[in-house]
Amino acid sequence: MDPRIGLLKAFYRGLPKDRAKLETEEHGFAFLAQLLSDGTVLEYGELTLSGLLHKYKLARIPEARMDEHLAAHIGKTRNLCLYFDDRANDLFCFNLDNNQLADSSALIPEMKFAVRRLEDSLRGAGCEPLIVASGRGYHVWCRLDGAVANERLHAFMLRAGVATAAALHRAGYDRHRVKFNFYPDPRARDVVSLRLFGSLHARNKVFSRVLAPTGLLDEATSWEYFADYLKNKTIPVARFHAACDAVAPPA
Amino acid sequence: MKTIAIDLDDTLNDFTATLRRTEFVRDDAHPISEEVFQDYLAKVRGGWDGGGELLSTEYSYFRYKIHHACYQRAGARDDGVAFLQWLRRNQWRIVICTRRDLRRAQESTRAWLQDNAIPFDHLFMAGNKIAFCRLWGIEHLVDDDGFNIAHGGRHGVNVYFPAAESSPPAPASPARAARGFRTFDEIIPWIHG
Repeated sequence: MDPRIGLLKAFYRGLPKDRAKLETEEHGFAFLAQLLSDGTVLEYGELTLSGLLHKYKLARIPEARMDEHLAAHIGKTRNLCLYFDDRANDLFCFNLDNNQLADSSALIPEMKFAVRRLEDSLRGAGCEPLIVASGRGYHVWCRLDGAVANERLHAFMLRAGVATAAALHRAGYDRHRVKFNFYPDPRARDVVSLRLFGSLHARNKVFSRVLAPTGLLDEATSWEYFADYLKNKTIPVARFHAACDAVAPPA
Repeated sequence: MKTIAIDLDDTLNDFTATLRRTEFVRDDAHPISEEVFQDYLAKVRGGWDGGGELLSTEYSYFRYKIHHACYQRAGARDDGVAFLQWLRRNQWRIVICTRRDLRRAQESTRAWLQDNAIPFDHLFMAGNKIAFCRLWGIEHLVDDDGFNIAHGGRHGVNVYFPAAESSPPAPASPARAARGFRTFDEIIPWIHG
């Protein structure tokens, strides 16, 4: 087995593996029949406006088939996206997107500022993030060594996001140009999935590189950084709760 | 297997009429004033997509919420339901093809289809339905969208659209031209041809 599959399994261990969204150029009823041949269910499909990219939201995926999807993800023929658990998770993610209608893939100054500001505040709170370029912006992941209730994760992210938006405003930027989403979101179940690390951008097919303090890393170095994060920077739950109490004390 | 793609809003249901006639009431879930609520509602009813420079705004979220309520409340066309049941009895593969954001509307869309006894095989969202039909080898599309009506034939997709009562009869030729129908059963001989 490719060792990168083991890394992905370890990093995303807490996310449900019976459902996923696949992004691929593969399409057609013969392909769909093969995709659903083992009891997997198609909830809906999508043809995006990005070339021939199709997306398939799948449920009831058998374990062996999920391994195939992971291998295809590593092989860059499919992007695998996972959903969060409905109640508690050991991962949370800030999704920062360029919110401009025109040229939404451009790396705008507001985005550069926001991602570094958020990174600093998370690191200052003892929650080291893993930042991955995501096409229209960045996914800012934090991995915990145990699961935490979604409401608490969301409350923490909301406050960190608001603080970042306020910093954007104070620095003279238009905060509306960066869209913040926080996952898991306890208000929505199974609505949004996030691409796993190692994906290719839907439009330009560029690898989703890690943003390190020194800048964007190349593909090989991104995998090394990812492995190091998993091994050395996973956040103890007690430390997260302390950070959470500091910024979002219980009511 | 014979396959047909069918749109939902203003094809199989009365989405626009529902949007215009339904009384929407602001509640605590709308973090906006009554004045803004009414302003936004008038704009949604007028078909305004939000314009501007930003992808996601307070208005775009409001618009989605109103549209979503209409997806749930819209009435199904009886003749449309009968047509899809005929397709099922005659072994057609039925693809519901919509521009709705199914990430958020999948469950309610499925529930609406089930509540109205509408059979289907797959649910797809597509911004460009002609491209979707071409890629998936689907020759027949029932849809009200003007772009698809105008361009489907050129790309080998037979488009059938709901025509207003006052519209002229559907053209008999050329074979690939889009055809308007007053009742869904008019489509049956066309897709047999």
